[in-house]
Amino acid sequence: MFLFQNNRIHTSKYNVLTFLPINLFEQFQRVANAYFLFLLILQLIPEISSLSWFTTIVPLVLVLTITAVKDATDDYFRHKSDNQVNNRLSEVLINGRLQSEKWMNVMAGDIIKLENNQFVAADLLLLSSSEPHGLCYIETAELDGETNLKVRHALPVTSELGTDISRLAKFDGVVACEPPNNKLDKFTGDLSWKDNKYPLNNEKIILRGCVLRNTSWCFGMVIFAGPDTKLMQNSGKTKFKRTSIDRLMNTLVLWIFGFLVCMGIILAIGNSIWEHQVGDYFRAFLFQDEVVKNSIFSGFLTFWSYIIILNTVVPISLYVSVEVIRLGHSYFINWDRKMYYSKKETLAEARTTTLNEELGQIEYVFSDKTGTLTQNIMTFNKCSINGKTYGILNQRSVILQEFSHNKKNSKFQFYDHSLVESIKLGDPKVHEFFRLLALCHTVMPEEKNEGKLIYQVQSPDEGALVTAARNFGFIFKSRTPETITVEEMGKVVTYQLLAFLDFNNIRKRMSVIGTNDTFEFGGEGLRTLAIAYRDLNEEYFKEWFKLLEEANREFDKRDECIAAAYEEIEKDMMLLGATAIEDKLQDGVIETIASLSLANIKIWVLTGDKQETAMNIGYSCNMLTDDMNEVFIISGHSAAEVWEELKKAKEILFGRSTGFTNGYAFCEKLQELKRGSTVEESVTGDYALIINGHSLGHALEANLQSEFLEIACICKTVICCRVTPLQKAQVVELVKEYRKAVTLAIGDGANDISMIKSAHIGVGISGQEGMQAVLASDYSFAQFRYLQRLLLVHGRWSYFRMCKFLCYFFYKNFAFTLVHFWFGFFCGFSAQTVYDQWFITLFNIVYTSLPILAMGIFDQDVSEQNSMDYPNLYRPGQLNLLFNKSKFFICIAHGVYTSFALFFIPYGVFYNLAGEDGKHIADYQSFAVTIATSLVIVVSVQIALDTSYWTVINHVFIWGSVATYFSILFTMHSDGIFDVFPNQFPFVGNARHSLTQKNIWLVILLTTVVSVMPVIAFRFIKVDLYPTLSDQIRQLQKVQDKARPLKSHRRQPRRTSSRRSGYAFAHQEGYGELITSGKNMRVKNLHPTSGLGKTMYNSTSWIENLCKKTTDTVNSFSLDRTVKL
Amino acid sequence: MERNSNDVRGLLSRMPDNTAFKQQRLPAWRSHLTAWAVLPGFFTTGAFFLGMGILLILSAKSVKEIEITYTSMCSNCAKLRENASNFYKECTCSVPFFIPEKMPGNVYMYYKLHNFYQNLRRYTISRNNRQLLGEDITNVENCAPFQRDSNGIPIAPCGAIANSMFNDTILLSYYPHSSTRINVPLLSSGITWWTDKHIKFQNPRSNNLPSAFTGTTKPPYWRKPVYQLDPENPENNGFLNNDFIVWMRVAALPTFKKLYRRIHRTGPFANGLPAGNYSFDIAYNFPVTVFKGEKGVVLSTVTWSGGSNLFLGIAYLTTGAVMWLAAFSMTAVHLKMKKRNIVSES
Repeated sequence: MFLFQNNRIHTSKYNVLTFLPINLFEQFQRVANAYFLFLLILQLIPEISSLSWFTTIVPLVLVLTITAVKDATDDYFRHKSDNQVNNRLSEVLINGRLQSEKWMNVMAGDIIKLENNQFVAADLLLLSSSEPHGLCYIETAELDGETNLKVRHALPVTSELGTDISRLAKFDGVVACEPPNNKLDKFTGDLSWKDNKYPLNNEKIILRGCVLRNTSWCFGMVIFAGPDTKLMQNSGKTKFKRTSIDRLMNTLVLWIFGFLVCMGIILAIGNSIWEHQVGDYFRAFLFQDEVVKNSIFSGFLTFWSYIIILNTVVPISLYVSVEVIRLGHSYFINWDRKMYYSKKETLAEARTTTLNEELGQIEYVFSDKTGTLTQNIMTFNKCSINGKTYGILNQRSVILQEFSHNKKNSKFQFYDHSLVESIKLGDPKVHEFFRLLALCHTVMPEEKNEGKLIYQVQSPDEGALVTAARNFGFIFKSRTPETITVEEMGKVVTYQLLAFLDFNNIRKRMSVIGTNDTFEFGGEGLRTLAIAYRDLNEEYFKEWFKLLEEANREFDKRDECIAAAYEEIEKDMMLLGATAIEDKLQDGVIETIASLSLANIKIWVLTGDKQETAMNIGYSCNMLTDDMNEVFIISGHSAAEVWEELKKAKEILFGRSTGFTNGYAFCEKLQELKRGSTVEESVTGDYALIINGHSLGHALEANLQSEFLEIACICKTVICCRVTPLQKAQVVELVKEYRKAVTLAIGDGANDISMIKSAHIGVGISGQEGMQAVLASDYSFAQFRYLQRLLLVHGRWSYFRMCKFLCYFFYKNFAFTLVHFWFGFFCGFSAQTVYDQWFITLFNIVYTSLPILAMGIFDQDVSEQNSMDYPNLYRPGQLNLLFNKSKFFICIAHGVYTSFALFFIPYGVFYNLAGEDGKHIADYQSFAVTIATSLVIVVSVQIALDTSYWTVINHVFIWGSVATYFSILFTMHSDGIFDVFPNQFPFVGNARHSLTQKNIWLVILLTTVVSVMPVIAFRFIKVDLYPTLSDQIRQLQKVQDKARPLKSHRRQPRRTSSRRSGYAFAHQEGYGELITSGKNMRVKNLHPTSGLGKTMYNSTSWIENLCKKTTDTVNSFSLDRTVKL
Repeated sequence: MERNSNDVRGLLSRMPDNTAFKQQRLPAWRSHLTAWAVLPGFFTTGAFFLGMGILLILSAKSVKEIEITYTSMCSNCAKLRENASNFYKECTCSVPFFIPEKMPGNVYMYYKLHNFYQNLRRYTISRNNRQLLGEDITNVENCAPFQRDSNGIPIAPCGAIANSMFNDTILLSYYPHSSTRINVPLLSSGITWWTDKHIKFQNPRSNNLPSAFTGTTKPPYWRKPVYQLDPENPENNGFLNNDFIVWMRVAALPTFKKLYRRIHRTGPFANGLPAGNYSFDIAYNFPVTVFKGEKGVVLSTVTWSGGSNLFLGIAYLTTGAVMWLAAFSMTAVHLKMKKRNIVSES
């Protein structure tokens, strides 16, 4: 028995009652929190307890509270969005009437009416729609990220129900289907109705999350509701990305934990020995009648006691502080005006707040082309008709060509007046050219109110061509399955459509065979590039059409036969002209790429476009230059060819001496790759690699991938064209896995989602229509050029700050905690703490938390301008120089040294100390206060040294922390608080007695100087002897001598190649089949073929003069060259 | 037009604020370790430390200090005390000694214990400050294992610290001539911290101290109840007894000295202790040999920096020397690098 769910969805995790238990349970699943809970339990055992309960519980509660508050806010917003979704209204057929009902009350079996542009409430079986044949269009962007419209059609039997409410209400079909699952493209089931069974498939199902488009209404029956819907079944947990620093941090925390256990063991052994030699007698004296304990057992208890005391080396506040810092950095990204794109009012957005420092470590950038490097705005800006080229850009003035008789697209800009002239003069070839543009396409017109004509386009370049024709007076008005109506210079002409040869990727062309009265029009258009036509006579066409129909009837080799038939007719074409659709590069792309390459970031372009386009873009953004040593083009169709081509490339790179492994010894090869880049450095010169999608498929196979990767990594530029989304992800994974490098993928479209998700950091270009890439991304902004700022400024700073933070944090905790360890040797290993318990409680969360947070959030070593100007500053991040295991050990050593000084200097002094008034001040409490005060001052001085950018906030926090320490110290040592809690605050009067002694201050001063002096000396010598680039630039900044740049680091990108534009090509299968099937046409639109006068120009002798090219050569036409004809 | 203005407003609202904070342009001072800051800093600090070191050593040297460890000198008594059954037996011991130089000014007398771990964790927490405040003298919480005696009567003062209180009495005698003996007048006042005497320790409020402590018993190691600690000065009894207060301020390290008496500067001792023969007359009560400890007496004068403390002076001197060394080598490195930079630039 399957239990049907209602349509209410829950993405929220908690409600008011369950929040506390569930959230706490979740939080204690984290190792760090569980560890502190364990400590807390240990502290409740009186034999072990060496610290009061509050020393652990206060930080723990603080950490838990911060996390809980964050979780609660997140969940609150989820509740809000759930409520909003659940309370959306949809029209449900109840008791024979349509009623508005909330989404959450919709049940499986209900019949729902949907209207245009509405979200679908549940998974529906499409019953009927406003469109003929029960068709309806949906957009599935929210589900799978694809923006193109998809068609669903109802069963003929149900589509007859139409909009008849009473019949729909009586609909009593029974659907038997598969159980709920997450497969978006599959559905199996059948509908039993009126004693008949009808099979159902995915074509009849509309899924929740889709949007109804171009369909004024449709009816559907709910099959799955709420959590059963495919959308909800698919909303699994997204992969949680972690930064390399995160992973390093976890390892280090484990090491520290091991270190803690070691210290515990040493002290426990010490305790056993001490108990054996001294303690037994001494305790017998002190505690008289107590049973003498086994010294081994005493050591065991001591071990746990010390684990409690020394627990502060494993810093509980580490993770929370790291999160806070990253959040701060994320806000800085969101707030950055220099990454705000005012044209589209788009802000940069850090969608993931936990990856910031990894932005400072990127080595590989994988970029999409269309819409990422380019604007993805197709403009028709050049054309060649009959050998004459129009529209050579001249920048001096923008003359908007005006046509009185059409509703002009105001954005349309064309600079060439002569074309307008020739149209007005009625040049037949020009007219033919634009007529073809207006006819040969798959655009769907949509007449909106006010007579506005909107084109539904599948690819933007197609839209650009039709719009261009429209702007030159050839307005595509409407289409039916058999006709196309065009308004030509004011006259409405209807063409009979005979055959429609849709675009596909193999032929790379599309043809429309049509006619008017006289049966002689034939044309073929290569959509974006060349426009050619062919006159066909009737007999030939009829013969051919027969061939096509036969091919259509064929079962086994249908596709091949149709292709052959298409090939038959699409030959002997006459070239009419060519169009140039330009997809302009975004602003600043060249500079950004140049700057990123200077920062040693390798940029790979992964595009779905064809090779020529991709190369053009490569040239136009200086990734390819004419003076490159070699550009390898891998375009083999089989593994053997690819292997051959790679081999050749390698021979050129390394010379023949280097043997090419035959691919099966790739394991060793990969090992080599992992070891490092020694091979790479031996190769000099600029190389580029261009690889095709099908070749890439072979290159990514296990036996070739090492070779491919090796060659690709040597090349300065890598361009992969014609790649599928999956291949994009595979390339990213390959680099991630074998180069152990930090990768970033940037893209704007649904086809980039996979690579955005698999790269360490995914960046989405926002502000465009599709939001899918942005939704999948970690960072988003509107323009590619902001990547430079994101990486070189924000990323670098984040990395720099995070590393400094971690170094200091570990140092601080070791300096703080290890004092207990030293003291252990002088207190009989009795787990006596050096400090007051309150000090232990407050040290990390009050006395020292804010200065380090301020440094972690605000610090800057060099200014943002210099970060941009000297991309070499980015190197340390890539090499992981600022925080790694050896840095960690240096920090630890620094901490150990400081703790040593902190303990042994006061020890030496207190060994025989008397006050100025002769009174005894070598007491435990004075000792505690002296060391605690020294510690606070030492770590404050240290953070002051580490802070390189002293804003007001840093001043307030650093001075404020020291001031806070003293005020809390004096408060806790005051008479008043002692009177109330004498047992909790036993340090009464201590501060005022010890801190008025000159001796104590001399101790504090000495400790501070001894702790800090070596650090200053070391840093000074290091800057003097081995200055880093950062040091030099800081020096430069200091001198304010910005006019003198460092020669070796500043190199203007050479602009060697001629400026080329990127021309775009669409390559998706079109709507052709749908159009000719007529399924999408409304009956009312079907006009009889108009007989309005229309003369065809048969005499096309000029075109023979132009050129007699076969279609094949036309195919590979690069527009760049076309324009240069 | 209206739409345009709307657009402008919308644009302004989306655009991040141009504040120094949000744009990370807060005015700031960029710290940098320049030679001009570091090298003079090292030289001056080094000089200060050297000077201070010399000063500290000189003043430590000027302090006159005499330490006499009497555990071995009073071995008879030490033996006696090792056996708990001799608890109430008196044992006195006289330790003669010679002061070669005059001890000018205020002279302080300390007792010093070696190998006595007053900083053991369980020891340091075995006390009750509330009881010592005199508010609730039967409050013996936290005082394990000395909370109550075998009859269940609460101990006052409770706890291990109080129980183990140092209870030798030490008298100082001066022998101006071999036959003459003058008892050096000793003061037991002014040896405690003001806050201890006036805030941390209070006697229970009562006209009669013994009656205030009724219902409690003395710690097992004590010979006399807390209200009879000083038979000579009734004010110096109960929780306010100076020796008791001093003892209760536990020492940081296992070897420590605590102030026992001040020399009363009257008569021949108005200017301190003259050179000559002296002796300590000790009522040996405190057993230390059972835990391999030692005890002694220290006589010391003080200076501006307290008692004799050579360590601090030596540490300052060493640090100052190291800083100068570092400063010189840094200067050398810096000059060399500067030269090389100039050469490479030209």
